[in-house]
Amino acid sequence: MTNSLLTKENENLLFHTFDETLRPQIEELLSLGKSAGADLVEVFLEKSDNISLLAEQDYISNVSPSFGIGAGIRVFLGKKDGFVSTNDLSTAGLLFALNQALGMLGLVSGSKNGNRFDGLSDLKDFGTNKNDWLKQSPDLDESTHKLIDATKSLADKNKNLQVRRASYSRNWQEVLVAASDGVFARDIRLHQTVGINVIAQQGENRSSSARRLGSSGNPDDLRNWEIEKSACELNDSAQKMLYAGYVEAGQMPVVLANKFGGVIFHEACGHLLETTQLERGTSPFHDCIDKQIAHKAVSAVDEGLSNHAFGSLSMDDEGMEPQNTLLIENGILKKFLSDRAGSLRTGHPRTGSGRRQNFSFAAASRMRNTYIKQGNFSPDELIKSVDDGLYCKSMGGGSVGPTGQFNFSVEEGYLIKNGRLDKPVKGATLIGEAKEILPRISMCANDLDLAAGFCGSVSGSVNVTVGQPHIKVDSITVGGR
Amino acid sequence: MKNSITNQKIGQLNPELLNNLLKRYSNESKITKWDMGASSSSDISVQVQKGKAKQLKGSQRNSMTLRVWNKYNQVGITSTSDLTSEGINKAMRGAIKASNFGNVKESPEFSPMAKNELEAVNSNNSNPHTINELLSILKNAEKQLIDTHKSIDSVPYNGLNESYMERIYINSEGANRHMKLSQSSIYLYAKAEEENKKPRSAGGIRIHSNLEELDIESCIKETSDKLISHLNYKSIETNKYLICFTPDAFLQLISAFSSMFNARSIIDGISLMKKDSIGEQISVSNLNISDEGLHPENVGAFSFDGEGTPTQNIKLVTNGILTNLLHSEATARKFGAKPTGHAGLGAKVSVSPDWLVVSKSESETDKDKNLSVKNTLKEYILIDELSAIHSGVKASQGSFSLPFDGWIVKNGKKISIDAATVAGDILEVLNNIVKIENEQIVTHQGISPYVWVENVSITGEA
Repeated sequence: MTNSLLTKENENLLFHTFDETLRPQIEELLSLGKSAGADLVEVFLEKSDNISLLAEQDYISNVSPSFGIGAGIRVFLGKKDGFVSTNDLSTAGLLFALNQALGMLGLVSGSKNGNRFDGLSDLKDFGTNKNDWLKQSPDLDESTHKLIDATKSLADKNKNLQVRRASYSRNWQEVLVAASDGVFARDIRLHQTVGINVIAQQGENRSSSARRLGSSGNPDDLRNWEIEKSACELNDSAQKMLYAGYVEAGQMPVVLANKFGGVIFHEACGHLLETTQLERGTSPFHDCIDKQIAHKAVSAVDEGLSNHAFGSLSMDDEGMEPQNTLLIENGILKKFLSDRAGSLRTGHPRTGSGRRQNFSFAAASRMRNTYIKQGNFSPDELIKSVDDGLYCKSMGGGSVGPTGQFNFSVEEGYLIKNGRLDKPVKGATLIGEAKEILPRISMCANDLDLAAGFCGSVSGSVNVTVGQPHIKVDSITVGGR
Repeated sequence: MKNSITNQKIGQLNPELLNNLLKRYSNESKITKWDMGASSSSDISVQVQKGKAKQLKGSQRNSMTLRVWNKYNQVGITSTSDLTSEGINKAMRGAIKASNFGNVKESPEFSPMAKNELEAVNSNNSNPHTINELLSILKNAEKQLIDTHKSIDSVPYNGLNESYMERIYINSEGANRHMKLSQSSIYLYAKAEEENKKPRSAGGIRIHSNLEELDIESCIKETSDKLISHLNYKSIETNKYLICFTPDAFLQLISAFSSMFNARSIIDGISLMKKDSIGEQISVSNLNISDEGLHPENVGAFSFDGEGTPTQNIKLVTNGILTNLLHSEATARKFGAKPTGHAGLGAKVSVSPDWLVVSKSESETDKDKNLSVKNTLKEYILIDELSAIHSGVKASQGSFSLPFDGWIVKNGKKISIDAATVAGDILEVLNNIVKIENEQIVTHQGISPYVWVENVSITGEA
């Protein structure tokens, strides 16, 4: 048994470009599935070549290359589906997976009582100009030197930076999507992230600070990383938070900074606009198309098109080209994000949002680059409009509950007193409910910016961009001590 | 010899073939020292929605991490899910390349315990079930749960899963570990809504090595009871309260700060503890915490860790004193201790707990011995489940600020709390414990009694 679609050992799939030559084997699988009675059969093939590096203090402490192959086979019958993943890509392995997926829906391969398969369309190759991306990316030598430069740069900033870490990950992925409705598409993806984090310590006081940058489709991203700028920004944040006191809990107006401040919209609203949530009946916005759900100052989009943004794609994981999807316009809900299954089950048209972490997950409706559009105010005008509140300069992570309750930690916060920034504070958590908070976003500044992140949900962890200009929330619960 | 290490039953590993391939490729590459961890899993899972199948999933997966030592004793690793002869050969080349960047001052070695005898754990493997059997069980559970109360309208998050896993550890000095286990789990997360009130939700989870013995009835009852108790809710005032953590919530909190017991984190300077903290009093004197991977209730237990070290039960805190740490081979060498069976496999080896067990020391008494979750009349907050642990915990600083599900309890009457967060410092919490109840309760993440803590900050919305 070979672990390949191909029969010759020297043509192992891992070293083989996904291309037209795979057509006969894939068509055979799809045909078997259709003839068994499936409404639709989809095959997703993936190979990956990843590197993860970590520098701690002045040494490289971890170099972890990894390679992967795998396939996900999904079969639809009516509104039901069965999905099987495997990294055994032998003919036997794939047939086993197909038969298991068919069996889940009560179908039997070889029964020939089902539907006809008319063959795949011409291969839509989104990867044609990307075949050299892997070679063009920095090698281990260059990458490790860059990380050591980063930790050394941090060492120069302040002696109280007791822990200095820099990490880099490069994820290269080649995918092929084929479905019995004729979809036949290939793409190559390249995602890179660099992260730096520090712990500053002076006596009994400690603060930690972290930043992450990420890009897609840009082999030169690590080379172009401005280490000095990142190190200065990180050190500045760590020093300011070192002696910060705990924020006092309560209800107050809050100004959220741009870039990663957009995580609040991503978590609190974006997830509730995915058809995945509509299917579960957990989105409070399920019947709100063309209704006012946010303050009229708020317009928001989700798109997969911004050049080199971390959530951009040439095609989604179902072979569809991404769109610029207007979610909210002047506070009015315009559209949901939909994948193939979501469209089938909810009726909302596909938006090129079918995404998955890898072959082991079935695609689901997921966000890409999601952000609130900019307004006309300057960031200063937002601060000046607050007498007594909180400025959230840097946000940590957050999560959203099944019915829209959300929470976010504030990494770097400052009190606002009489329209001016005051003392730094730590330990703040923003708590609320999407439906209640969206109408309270009353001002948007003119400084939209994006930040890279990872989003975990039903189809695994996917690369996304969050973003916004500075925004003001008139009142929100701030958890503290 | 064909070039796959999976045998005819797809998804199962062939240790002998894998060992032979590694010997061959290491000889060809002049690598004399190597080790390898591989795992394989095969599972099926179902989700339902309103009596119908929603998603049916299956998977067969293999993966391997190979670690080599080059002639300068630098260590390199590579992971792959391509377990063909070519995939393994490529992994060998990748690991050799990575070894050029290994930090020779921090090179791990083989565990000195990689050939020690193993404790027998968890031989109770399940017989496989069909997807239709799983579907039928979950459909019934969904219906039963919805039928328990008229306000429960759906179970939006649910799943029933049956998995078979195996793990191998082999090294060039002849260590050879191999273990298989099965695991089944069910989770039910239901939603209820009453007129003019916010939707409320609650969930339960059960895990067992054998699907036949999975306690689905108690999962349904727990989810329903919790959800019904959350239907009447109110906001509470921001203040300092007497808190009672349920066993689940207390284990969540201790797990979030388990870097206190982690020798790797201490060496890296990201733990609250220091190299000389062993012997320090870190909590009230009647608290015991241990890590018991070999506990019979730990259904996910493997008998060896990523370095082949046998899984062991370790006392971490005894009578409030930090007594031991969790170690890999490398951290144990630095501390002059023995590996404890908590290591991963890497060039820099991670360390993590298996199964935390919290108990009360019999020799010490509680500050407030009258407190009991069954009959206390005082006002207190019962914290059932913490959320957003990944973002609300600063493990290196000891602070936390976490949303929670729970109730305000007065005169024995429970009212659900609308939305609130609990904030504090872990060492303060451990030192402000006023009562550790006697009964130890088994949860899916470990064992703990109810634990009472005074003077804890809660932010409410009233």
